[in-house]
Amino acid sequence: MRRVWVILQKEWLELRQDRLILIGTFGPAIMLTLLPLLGMWAVRHAPDSPPQDDSTLAAANPALLGLTGREFGQAILGQQLSVLFFLLPLIIPSVIAAYSVVGEKAGRTLEPLLATPLRTWQLLLGKTLAALLPAVAVTWTLGGIFVLGVRSIAISPRVTDAIVSPGWVIILTLCTPLLALVTIALMVAISARVNDPRTAQQVSGVLVLPIVTVVAGQVSGRLVLNPPAALGITAILALLAALALWAATRLFGREVVLTRWR
Amino acid sequence: MGPLAIETIGLTRHFAGRAAVDDLTLTIPAGKVFGFLGPNGAGKTTTVRMLTALIAPLGGTACVAGYRLGENDEALRRAVGILTETPGLYDRLSARQNLTFFAQLYDLDSRKAAMQTERYLRTLELWGRRDDPVGGFSRGMRQKLAIARALLHEPEVVFLDEPTVGLDPEASKIVRDFVRELRAEGRTIFLTTHNLADADELCDLIGIFQGRLLHLDTPAGLRAELFGEGTRITLAGDAAPWVPTTEALSFVRSAAATGDLLTVALDAPDDQNPTLVAALVATGAPVRYVTPQEHTLEEVYLQLLGNARETRQLVGAGR
Repeated sequence: MRRVWVILQKEWLELRQDRLILIGTFGPAIMLTLLPLLGMWAVRHAPDSPPQDDSTLAAANPALLGLTGREFGQAILGQQLSVLFFLLPLIIPSVIAAYSVVGEKAGRTLEPLLATPLRTWQLLLGKTLAALLPAVAVTWTLGGIFVLGVRSIAISPRVTDAIVSPGWVIILTLCTPLLALVTIALMVAISARVNDPRTAQQVSGVLVLPIVTVVAGQVSGRLVLNPPAALGITAILALLAALALWAATRLFGREVVLTRWR
Repeated sequence: MGPLAIETIGLTRHFAGRAAVDDLTLTIPAGKVFGFLGPNGAGKTTTVRMLTALIAPLGGTACVAGYRLGENDEALRRAVGILTETPGLYDRLSARQNLTFFAQLYDLDSRKAAMQTERYLRTLELWGRRDDPVGGFSRGMRQKLAIARALLHEPEVVFLDEPTVGLDPEASKIVRDFVRELRAEGRTIFLTTHNLADADELCDLIGIFQGRLLHLDTPAGLRAELFGEGTRITLAGDAAPWVPTTEALSFVRSAAATGDLLTVALDAPDDQNPTLVAALVATGAPVRYVTPQEHTLEEVYLQLLGNARETRQLVGAGR
């Protein structure tokens, strides 16, 4: 494991020395945390209105039942925007892995690296952890800050309960590492064909689509992140992550990298 | 012959049905500088990659620094050092950080890693720039840093792929002197280069390769085998009249005149030159200068590749 640690340290050292990557990694994360809180703060200071009677939403999402107009506004805004949080385990590792894997290929550093006694699983694990750990740490930390923010800005505890639901917490805790793993595995796959970290990031944008689908499902009331739905999503992601990692391991063989990557 | 640093038997590697390396059988004694010459696309890099356990051969076998390919590749990689075709350095890291990182991957402890890093940065005159990001280094500095990286773990066998390419004359000389130092330390150097003057100057053995090993010999052996040995005699006037006199000498293999130059093919010029010159002078030849007939490695290389091409064409036409 010492060599894995050496890889991890090098990755983070490189990351620290590139402000653009740091901004690209953590800037959107902070924005996505502040955005729902600012929206909720604005609703808190808006004039109140009569209780909502949206039977479609309320039927699917009982947490919204009986809320006042402003409570409903805060809850619905918080619920929709809190799903954007799940973009963080996509954005953060995609930026880090793009520079860590594609950057290594573009800088022609892979061959000297593979010529050392390092085993390919050690290299892959080091690079995976280098992208995974910051993604998980930042998402969970900002998730914690978001929860505290919701608590202090929410008009009532009912609003907090509607936003910070058990389903949302399950997804935040369990799906964050899984989403990050899928992203990293995809970046490894993209690295086999792409020579520029920015292009790799753009291609990895396809990963946003499932999150957009979840947001759309929430907005339309067709999908509510209750615990069974959250656990179902977690199970699907776990399967996807296992498949993606298996594929990444196959693509990251010493021989494959040197003879087939273009 | 002493112990072998590299031994290959029938080493073969194909890509998409095309043989990049075909039946390579080669022995390189320890402590020698071996020049591996061949045109672009000849399979040199594939050979180096196989010998450094980066890719596996599809046929044949090889033993490098005492390790058989495919048996303990991790130990083999620890016993060899490689300078790849492009330096491949981390631009955002400093020279010292780059070397320390690789030293750690070769399992050097932090004290030894720091010591080796300093040693090679000083040897290759990069110590003054040790904390500067490598992204700002010139091509020559990057190349020297990559050479330092290949040596940090004190490998027995060092593979250098085009070590002087793109370097200015001063940096090239530093690298050449360094290769000599490495040989003096008893290391085996596998040198891939297109710079034939470097190869001529540095190598004990030369292999000319184009998918297959065309020739393997010392630089002098290659010259002698291809062109034979001989002497050039410059006369004060037309050399043609002296050709019959020269050819009449029993030890002369052939003689030819071009203007005032008489070219004489001999088997042992060192022993035969005094008799040859005496005979010419005795018959009144106005001898001005006597010089050995020298062929550059470039002439040898081009001749051998040309021969190989002709052979392939003949074989192709015969089918």
